[in-house]
Amino acid sequence: MSIAPSLIFFLQVWGGVGAGVALLFLAWGIDRIDEDARGAYVFRVLIIPGILLIWPLVLWRWWQLEAQSGRWLARYQPVRRAHGLAALAMSVAIALIVFFGLSARQDWPADIAPVRVETGS
Amino acid sequence: MSDKPFFVGYLPAPGGLRGCLVLAGALLMLGMAAAGFALGVAQDDPGEGAFRFDYGRQTVTGVVELTPYPLIHVTEGNDRIKAGETFMMSAGGKSGVDGRAAPLAGQVAQVSGVMLERGDLYMLQLRGGRNGIRAAEGSGAVPEPQDLGRWRLAGEICDGKCLSGAMRPGRGLAHKACANLCLLGDVPPVFVSTQPVEGSEFLLITGPDGTALPEAAYDYVAQYVTVEGQVRRHGSLLVFAMDPDTLALAP
Repeated sequence: MSIAPSLIFFLQVWGGVGAGVALLFLAWGIDRIDEDARGAYVFRVLIIPGILLIWPLVLWRWWQLEAQSGRWLARYQPVRRAHGLAALAMSVAIALIVFFGLSARQDWPADIAPVRVETGS
Repeated sequence: MSDKPFFVGYLPAPGGLRGCLVLAGALLMLGMAAAGFALGVAQDDPGEGAFRFDYGRQTVTGVVELTPYPLIHVTEGNDRIKAGETFMMSAGGKSGVDGRAAPLAGQVAQVSGVMLERGDLYMLQLRGGRNGIRAAEGSGAVPEPQDLGRWRLAGEICDGKCLSGAMRPGRGLAHKACANLCLLGDVPPVFVSTQPVEGSEFLLITGPDGTALPEAAYDYVAQYVTVEGQVRRHGSLLVFAMDPDTLALAP
């Protein structure tokens, strides 16, 4: 299987698992971990696309909240120094990706003319 | 309490910060404008390919040939598409018409849809179901292909629909993912040659011996490549049966 069909297959599997997680989480899990969501249903449809994309994170947070193992205080701490470094690193990485991407870009090989290798039958 | 000026969005800007804010604002606007201009001028010209809705719906009759990508050899044309011409077809979106055309192989069929046109290259996006293609009365036969020999070409493998005008740009690296999705959907692939081959710079590209585009070619779509293969003239269209073992990035 070449890269393109592999990518399509990966996205299909990812989306399929995400759909399962979305069904399970929105039909059952969200009521267990968020009391404000109980009795509210329309908004659940809106977050299906997000769950399809980041379902591993949803599962992880769901497990944290179920097990009460998450450090809830950490959610209210100001942006940490590591975040600043990560933001800087990402900015530099984006600039480098653009630079190397443009450097690796091919030029249209206009000077290579078609050549008949063998005559037709 | 600190005397340092503090900016609050809904209050007038403090005197000590105004100069800095004006300067930062001006630099931000100029920087964004300059970045937009730089990105714009760095892009290749997408060309003049487009859907030709202004031509209206095109309906012609011809003989269906599978290369394996379906072609129509026109027997009864109209003002735009003349009898004797040969063209490719696609369905709406990123889909080909293989399933609908296969039962009509070698038979006379009426096809109807909207044209996509880029220079000498054009394609018909068929209407849905039997409104797009159906068996028709009349006679005709698939013209005998003319073998033009084995060629070494340089250029780019594209999906024929986007290249013809469904997308702008319809080729190049920025379009690679779209092109591969179209090709996976059985849209006919087209090879754009650096220079005309027997008068045409666009060739329908297939695998060897009447097979579809080889899987190996998908990784090279939208990049500039050199490749060898057999060129045959099917009606007015050139068909390039590529040899995947010779596929390489252009130097």
